[in-house]
Amino acid sequence: MAMPATNMMTVEERPRSFGASRTRGDAVFRGLTSSAGVFVFILIGSIAAFLIINGWPAISSVGLGNFLTSTKWQPVGLKPSYGVAGLLYDTILVSGIALVAAVPVSVGTAVLINEYAPKRLRSTLTGLVDLLAAFPSIIFGLWGLFYVMPNANGVAGWLSRHLGWIPLFQADGGLYTNSIFMAAIVLSIMIVPITTSIVREVIAQVPRDQCEAALGLGGTRWGMVRRVILPFGRSGIIGGAMLGLGRALGETVAIALILSPLFKIQASIIKPGGSTVASTIFNEFNEADLAHRQALMAIGLALFVLTLVVNSIARLAVSRSKGAGASSR
Amino acid sequence: MNLDVAATGSITVPAIDLRTTDDVFARETADARAAVTPRPGSTLIADSVSAWFGQRKVLEQVSLAMRPNEVTALIGPSGCGKSTFLRILNRMHELVPSAGLAGQVLLDGVDIYGSQMRVTETRLKIGMVFQKPNPFPTMTIEENVLSGLKLSGSKPTMDKRQLVESCLRRAGLWEEVKTRLDALGGALSGGQQQRLCIARALAVTPDVLLMDEPCSALDPMSTRIIEETMRELVQQVTIVIVTHNMQQAARVSDQCAFFLVEEMEQPGRVVEAGTTSQMFSAPGDPRTSDYIQGRFG
Amino acid sequence: MTDTALYPAESPSLASPMPDEPRVIARFGRIDVAEIIGSAISAAALTWLLFSAVAWNGAFGALLIWYATFIVMYRTVARAVHGRLVATDRVMTVVLTTCAALAFVPLVMIIIFVVSKGLKYLTASFFTDTLEAVGPQDSGGGAFHSIVGTLQQVGLAAAVAIPLAILTAVYLNEVKGRMSRGVRFVIDSMSGLPSIVAGLFVYSFWVVELGKGFSGFAGSMALIVLFIPTVTRASEEMLRIVPDSLREASLALGAPQWKTVLRVVLPNARSGLISAAILGTARAIGETAPMVLTVLGSSSLNWNVFEANQDDLPLFILKLIRSPNETQIARAWTGALVLVTLVLFLFTLARILGRDRRKATR
Repeated sequence: MAMPATNMMTVEERPRSFGASRTRGDAVFRGLTSSAGVFVFILIGSIAAFLIINGWPAISSVGLGNFLTSTKWQPVGLKPSYGVAGLLYDTILVSGIALVAAVPVSVGTAVLINEYAPKRLRSTLTGLVDLLAAFPSIIFGLWGLFYVMPNANGVAGWLSRHLGWIPLFQADGGLYTNSIFMAAIVLSIMIVPITTSIVREVIAQVPRDQCEAALGLGGTRWGMVRRVILPFGRSGIIGGAMLGLGRALGETVAIALILSPLFKIQASIIKPGGSTVASTIFNEFNEADLAHRQALMAIGLALFVLTLVVNSIARLAVSRSKGAGASSR
Repeated sequence: MNLDVAATGSITVPAIDLRTTDDVFARETADARAAVTPRPGSTLIADSVSAWFGQRKVLEQVSLAMRPNEVTALIGPSGCGKSTFLRILNRMHELVPSAGLAGQVLLDGVDIYGSQMRVTETRLKIGMVFQKPNPFPTMTIEENVLSGLKLSGSKPTMDKRQLVESCLRRAGLWEEVKTRLDALGGALSGGQQQRLCIARALAVTPDVLLMDEPCSALDPMSTRIIEETMRELVQQVTIVIVTHNMQQAARVSDQCAFFLVEEMEQPGRVVEAGTTSQMFSAPGDPRTSDYIQGRFG
Repeated sequence: MTDTALYPAESPSLASPMPDEPRVIARFGRIDVAEIIGSAISAAALTWLLFSAVAWNGAFGALLIWYATFIVMYRTVARAVHGRLVATDRVMTVVLTTCAALAFVPLVMIIIFVVSKGLKYLTASFFTDTLEAVGPQDSGGGAFHSIVGTLQQVGLAAAVAIPLAILTAVYLNEVKGRMSRGVRFVIDSMSGLPSIVAGLFVYSFWVVELGKGFSGFAGSMALIVLFIPTVTRASEEMLRIVPDSLREASLALGAPQWKTVLRVVLPNARSGLISAAILGTARAIGETAPMVLTVLGSSSLNWNVFEANQDDLPLFILKLIRSPNETQIARAWTGALVLVTLVLFLFTLARILGRDRRKATR
C-alpha cells in the first residue's frame, strides 16, 4: 500500500538554483573561448564599421539616391560623379548569365553523382567537385584569357549572326572578345563546382527509404529523382545557386583579366567591354586619391550589401532543406 | 534458463515497510545520518523533487529512497518523467538550458544540489549508463575504461591494468575483450559496448549507478548478461534503473516506483512505490496493476 | 508463355544446380546501346543534311542542332520500344550525363591546359631563382621569391586565424555564451565579404591611413579577415556532428566541461577540423585580388614578411601573364602549375587526414 506523492505537504514549489556547477578550469576555459569569440566579433564587426564610415562621405556627396541610380562612374576630375548603378548592372548581368548557365548543369551533375554513378566512382567525383570548388580563381581567369576567348569567338559570332535580332546578341561584327559573354562563360565554369557541391550535399540528405519507396512502387529512376529528390532538394538547389551567385558577384581577377573596362551600359553582351564593381576597385585603387578611395569603398560597400543579401537567402534555403530531414517529403 | 527464479531468489524482503513515501524518507534520512554505512553502498534520497522544462512542469513532488545494495526500478509509460528523474539524480538535468528543479537530492544525507558539493564531484560519485551505448569512439577499450579517471582527474585506487581487468570482469566483458584491449571502443557489438560503458562507469568507483533503459537497444542475450552483471554489482553499489520491460523490472529489482502522468499536460508523479514482490503480486493502486499486467502503456 | 512454363512442376535447380557465384544483374543491354548509337548517327546525318540544305555554318550551331535532334530521336526510338515512362528515364539519363560532361570536361581541360603550358618552363632554377635582374628574354629566372612570400603570408595568416577560428567555433557550439548570437551573426555576414573588399579595407586602413605601406603582413591581414568566417563556420559544423551522447557520457563521469571539450569533443571532430583548416588554407593560397591591394608584388626576394612589398604566386602569375613577352607568359604558366600543385597537395592532404580512422577499422 502506498500513497501518491501529491498528498504530501507541499514544500517550496519554485525552481531552485543549481548551486555551484563550474570548476576553476571551466572558468578559465570559458574565459578563453569567450575572449576569442569577442575578439572575432570586434575584429570583423569593425571592418563593416570602417567600410561604412569611409564609404559614406562619397555616397553623401552625391546623395544616396543618385549613388544608387546613376550610371555615371567618373571618380576623377573637378566634378566627380559616383554612380554605382552601371557597375552593379554589369556585375549582376555577368553573374546572372553565369548562374543561368551553371545551375542546370550543377543540378544534373549532382543528381548524376548521387543517384546514377556507381558507388566507387561517387566518392572520386565528389572529391573532384570539392577540389575544383577550392581552385584558385586566377587559374580560371588564365584559362578564360588563353583558351575560352579565342575559341568561343566563333560561338559568339554564331549567336550574333543567327540571334542578332535580340539586342542581347546584337553586334557590329568582328571581335567578340573581352565581352560580358566571355566573362560569364568563365564565371559559370567557376561556380559549377561550388553549386554542385552544395546541391549534392543537400540531396544526399533525402531519406533513403523515400527513394526506395518510389522505386518499390515500380517507378523509374528518373521518376524517383523527379518526384522525391528534386522536391526535397528544392531549397538546397536555391541555396546552392545563391552561394554560387555570391561567389560570382565578388569575383575579381578572372573578370579583370577578361573584361576590358567600359563605363557605359550596353545592351549587347557579346560586344567587348564592361565593368563590374570588383574589377573597378581592382583597376583603380592604385591611382586613387582620398576622395576616389572613399568612392571605391562606397561601391565596395554596395557590393558587400548585395552579397550579404544573396548569401542570407542562400543560408536560409540550405538550412531549411537540411532541417527538413525525415519529416518533409 | 530461468532468470525469474534466480532474480526473485535474491530479493531480500526489506526490514522496513515502505508504507508511505514521507515515512520512508524520514526513517531513511535518520538512518543515513546516524550510521554511515561503510562502502559498498550509499543511500540516495529524493525529497519532493519537481522539475520543469521552461514553463512546463514535468515532475511533481517525487520523493523516493534508493537504498544501498538494492536495485530500484523506475517503471511507467513513456513520457512520465522517469528519465528526467534519473537525470536529476546526478545533475545531468541541468544540462538542458531551460531546465528547472525544486526539492533536494540527498546522497548519504548531503544535498547534491547544495553549494558545498561540486557538480563534477557529484557525478563522480553517482555514475550513469545511458540508453544508447556511447563508448568514446576515438579511444581504445582500455582507454575507455580509464577515461573516467582521466576526465575527472582522479587518482586510480590500484594499478591501471588491474583496474581495467577488474572493471571489465565486473561488467562481464573481460573474457570477450581481454585479447584486444587496444581495439577501438566502437569496434564492439552493441551489447559489448553497453557493458564497456558499465565498466567505464565502475572504474571511478561510484557509490550509485544510474541506468537509463540500459538494455532497450540490445538483444536478449546481451540483456541477460547485463542483468546478471547488475545483480552482481548491487553487492557494491546502489543501482537505479529505468526500464520499460516489466519482466526485467521483476527480474532485477528489489524496489519499484511506478511513475504516471495522470492526465494529459499534467506533470508525472509517483503513483506507487514499494518492494518489487509486493508491487508485482499485490499492487495497491489499480493503475499499477493495469500497467504491470500490460493493459495499457 | 503458359503457366506451366512459368512454374514448372519440378524445380529445375534440383536437376541442374545453378552455379553458386554472384551473377551479373544486367541493366543496360546491347540493344539499349544500339538504340543510343543509332539515334546519334541518324541525328548527325540529319544535321549534316540541314546544314548543307539551308547553308548554315559554324561548328557550335551544328553541335547544338545535332544534340537536339539526337535527344528527340532517341526519345522516339525508346518510346516505341520500351514505352513512355522508360523512354523518359532513358532520355533523362542521357541529359544528366551531358550535364556532368559539361561540368567536368572544362575542368579537366583546365588542368591539362595548365600542366601542358606550365611544364615548358618547369626547371630546377624556377624554384631557386628570382626575377631580380632577369630580363624578359633571359633564360633562367624563377619564382623563389614568390614561393617564399606565399608560404610566409599564408602561413602567418593560418597560424593566427585557425586557432582563433576553432576557439570561436568552440565558443559558439560548446560554451554557447551570451555573445554567441552576435558573434554568429557577424561571422555569417562576413563569410560573404568579397575578397576584393577585404583587400580594399586593409589597403585603406593599414597601407594608406596608418602609412605602414605594402607588406606581406598586410596581405596576411586580408587573408585572416577572409579566413576566420569560413574556417569558423566549417569547424562549427564539425563540432555539431559530434553526438551529444558523448558529451553526456563524459560529464556523467565527473569531467569538467573543458576536459570534455579537450578530450572528447575535439578528438572526435579532429579529422573534420583538420580538413576544414587545410581547405581554408588552400583557398587562401589562391587569393589574388586582395594581395594586389596589400602585398603589391615584387621581382626580388624579401625575407621580411613585415616590411616592404613582397611577392607571392598569384601576383607572380598576374604580373607576368599580362606582359606581351612570350618567355614571361611561359613563366606565368609555370607559376600557375606550381600554384595548382600546391592546392592539389593541400587538398589531398585534407582528404587523407580527414578520413575517419574509426570507419576504416570498423
